[in-house]
Amino acid sequence: MILERLGKELLFFDGGMGTLLQEKGLRPGELPEVWNLEHTEEIVDIHRQYFEAGSDIVLTNTFGANALKFHSGDYDLEDIITAAVVSAKEGAYLGVHDDREVYVAMDIGPTGKLLKPLGDLDFETALAAFGEAARYGEAAGADLIHIETMSDMYEMKAAVLGAKENTSLPVFATMIFDEKGKLLTGGDVAAAVAMLEGLRVNALGINCGLGPEQMLPILEEIMKYTSLPVIVKPNAGLPRQRDGRTVYDVAPEEFAASMRRIVEMGACAIGGCCGTSPAHIRQMTSLCRGMEAGLPVRKTDTIVSSYGRAVVLGEKPVIIGERINPTGKKKFRQALKDHDMDYILKEAVAQQEQGAHILDVNVGLPDIDETAMMKEVIGELQSITSLPLQIDTVEPSAMEAAMRMYNGKPMINSVNGKQESMDQVFPLVKKYGGVVVGLTLDEAGIPADAEGRAKIAGKIIAEAAKYGILPKDIVIDVLAMTVSSDPEGAKTTLEALRLVRERYGVRTVLGVSNISFGLPCRPVINAHFYTMALQSGLTAGIINPASEEMRKSYYAYCALMGYDSNCEDYIREFGNARADQSASPVASSLTLKDAIEKGLKEDASALTRELVKEREPLEIIDSELIPALDQVGKGFEQGTVFLPQLLMSADAAKNAFAVLRDKLEESGSSAKKKEKIILATVKGDIHDIGKNIVKVLLENYSFDVIDMGKDVPPEDIVRRALDEDVRLVGLSALMTTTVGSMEETIRQLRKEKPDCKVMVGGAVLNQEYADMIGADFYGKDAMQSVYYAQRLFEK
Amino acid sequence: MSMMDARTKEAVRYLGFGRQEADEATLAMVARSFEELKTAASPRIVWRIFDLNPEGEDSLNIGGMKIHSKSLCRNMKGCCQAVVLGATLGAGVDLLMRRQSLTDMAGAVVTQACAAAMLEEYLDGEQEEIGRELEREGKYLRPRFSPGYGDFSITHQRQILSMLEAPKRIGLSMTESSMLTPVKSVTAVIGVSAEQEPCHRKGCEACEKKDCIYRRNEG
Repeated sequence: MILERLGKELLFFDGGMGTLLQEKGLRPGELPEVWNLEHTEEIVDIHRQYFEAGSDIVLTNTFGANALKFHSGDYDLEDIITAAVVSAKEGAYLGVHDDREVYVAMDIGPTGKLLKPLGDLDFETALAAFGEAARYGEAAGADLIHIETMSDMYEMKAAVLGAKENTSLPVFATMIFDEKGKLLTGGDVAAAVAMLEGLRVNALGINCGLGPEQMLPILEEIMKYTSLPVIVKPNAGLPRQRDGRTVYDVAPEEFAASMRRIVEMGACAIGGCCGTSPAHIRQMTSLCRGMEAGLPVRKTDTIVSSYGRAVVLGEKPVIIGERINPTGKKKFRQALKDHDMDYILKEAVAQQEQGAHILDVNVGLPDIDETAMMKEVIGELQSITSLPLQIDTVEPSAMEAAMRMYNGKPMINSVNGKQESMDQVFPLVKKYGGVVVGLTLDEAGIPADAEGRAKIAGKIIAEAAKYGILPKDIVIDVLAMTVSSDPEGAKTTLEALRLVRERYGVRTVLGVSNISFGLPCRPVINAHFYTMALQSGLTAGIINPASEEMRKSYYAYCALMGYDSNCEDYIREFGNARADQSASPVASSLTLKDAIEKGLKEDASALTRELVKEREPLEIIDSELIPALDQVGKGFEQGTVFLPQLLMSADAAKNAFAVLRDKLEESGSSAKKKEKIILATVKGDIHDIGKNIVKVLLENYSFDVIDMGKDVPPEDIVRRALDEDVRLVGLSALMTTTVGSMEETIRQLRKEKPDCKVMVGGAVLNQEYADMIGADFYGKDAMQSVYYAQRLFEK
Repeated sequence: MSMMDARTKEAVRYLGFGRQEADEATLAMVARSFEELKTAASPRIVWRIFDLNPEGEDSLNIGGMKIHSKSLCRNMKGCCQAVVLGATLGAGVDLLMRRQSLTDMAGAVVTQACAAAMLEEYLDGEQEEIGRELEREGKYLRPRFSPGYGDFSITHQRQILSMLEAPKRIGLSMTESSMLTPVKSVTAVIGVSAEQEPCHRKGCEACEKKDCIYRRNEG
């Protein structure tokens, strides 16, 4: 069994396959996997050579053998994979001349496509394709699954889950980093390691992309974060072009010498990738054999990650933003009910700008499908922010769905000391990985004293251990109780924080604002309690990062405790405070109409706030906003105002509207919205900037825009149009290849909802084309759609 | 405005200003956007040289890829090799634009234009370098030509990406409908010939669509 040797002794992989096949005549663009059936003897021979060179593990010739990449009319995927495994085994039979145990690894490479939201590949589709390939590999007799050359963490996650759900084989996972230590999709080493450890792969590491020397700094970084066996498989240097061919120029001797260093640095399974040959592997095995190799030092850092970055919950406290949560927020509840994704996303962007490190995500409302909403929100959030997310739900199916599709290692809120809760949550953490918040309450409720809460923390940690979940992946929430109803509440919480830290060495989290419930001037109590909690060992406060008082507490604490070198953060945050207060944002002569025409966003808000003191919101809209927008729109049409200016005005008007809307809601009325209009970028099309421009302008003119996003199937558009009885649909397409989807959408709309008009726009369209596909209106620019909508609905 | 650098000029052109001068607010946004792109973008390129053979009247073959295209044949006349390339600014730009679309639509549009200009500038630089290398062998480059120009179908992108192993090498892939992902990416072919072409007409000027509002000012 390979797992008995992994991490205890040095294991040798094989070297490149593609380079050797090219030498034997594989043409660029030809599917290498076809050789498993067409040139079996060549494949067997390559494996034989590697075994003879001393490899313990060889990879099957199945790098591109998945249903998404391998498109061959002539061959069946299962046959290709079966032949690959059989060839590797035959290579072992021919190439191993002693009694050593060797292994065949089912090789899995990337699909060559980008997953949603950046590309069009669905996560579950990718997972299924990897799972299918892994299943064939296991059935044919592979000893392990080796996933390699992944440049996208999300695709890696799909592959690991696919392999684990479909086989019982060990899973190795190696990724491709660039010289800056970044994945091609932007993730760094810490983020990738955190995710892979969470998914409980058996070994992880790097391959391809770089030569052995360039890999050293990345290996160093990996060793800093992982406790798992580390694999390193470099190329034979960086690829160069020579006579129209790609060549690699690190010779076997040099390669082997570098690999020695790599073992000294901590790798325990080594081999080669592109450009390496049996000669490289032979040199490597003879130079490195007998070297000691083992596991890295065991790490105890608590780390969560997104696709882009990792956040360490360490000595320096971190801020978890609490704003994505409907509790007690009328507007947020409404946004969830209306499916107003923009509102939710803006909360995320705002909190990120205000300094949050992690965002709590809670979308639970009694009358919505929480699982569906959670999935949608997590997906959307991960397409605009790289902050790690904290999945906050009591609904097990929503929790699992979110953990499954999350790109990275999430934080999970929460488990508690009740057996039922632990039975539900820990298996999910074991499968998908994550740092889980443990609430110190159980069947008997919340203990009144600190000792009782600490005991529950101990129980949670012990139960987690049964699942192999380490204390570093648990953060304890000792719960803050309202001080107005329990005078000892704050003291108990602070004492419990200290106890838990001291007794178990785990990190802690706390929803801070609870403490002040029912008291006046809550921010004062909150901020003071926050500082006290930090002083008692709180790692992560779940707070509102927009609160000035909380920010003061946080930055002051970090500066005072030496977590803010040269007080840089503190100075950045508060250094300009005086200047900000004295500067009046509004030049005296500027009117709101001017501000909008000039596209001055801040001035537009400020002036509107002044105006509503004297005038009615609706009157301001009619006398200031609309005339300004009309003026700018006219200028755009005449060619004196250009797109950026038009949009700056639109953004300024949007700010003014926001102030007016608040005012109207205060007085119990609401801003009247005009007719509903659906906007969508059609199926297959992922460019949505044009659609977004139209949306901003239509909203300026108070139309109720239903933004369905990009890559939207015709059926979805039709269904929504029927459900909400929409009379105008705007469609955007940017490429000749997607105008077909536009035509199909129009055809279906005509059939199902004949009274609905369709306007179209996009770079590839013109009037003639629009007529041909049966659109009612072609908007050559964004303003034209506004005029059309006005004409249509004012009749 | 004569002080404007080349990429600012390009960005302003993409924003639809045509021959008009951009206003100060727009120029300030352009400058800010280039600044933001410095961290959001990570330009990467992969290229290889392949043999080029004419195949009949309006077709040619580049490294096994058969292309039927009059405009490309015209562009490649007299070439016996071609550089095939793929380049991308990376996924960070997609995320930046998506974020801006929420609260700052003008910013998103400006970023889109600046990213396009940045990508062109990056490609110009890389092309110059490739050209310098080839000149030592007495070979010269033609203007680059991308799928989607003229009648060179964008469906060829699939094959180009595969010939270059672009997904693995630089993280550049495409959707089912032949759209490149990340969004700010390019594939192109560049003719290699033994003779120096006197007229270096660039892609934009070579286009037949003379009434395009984004057309570069000629002369």
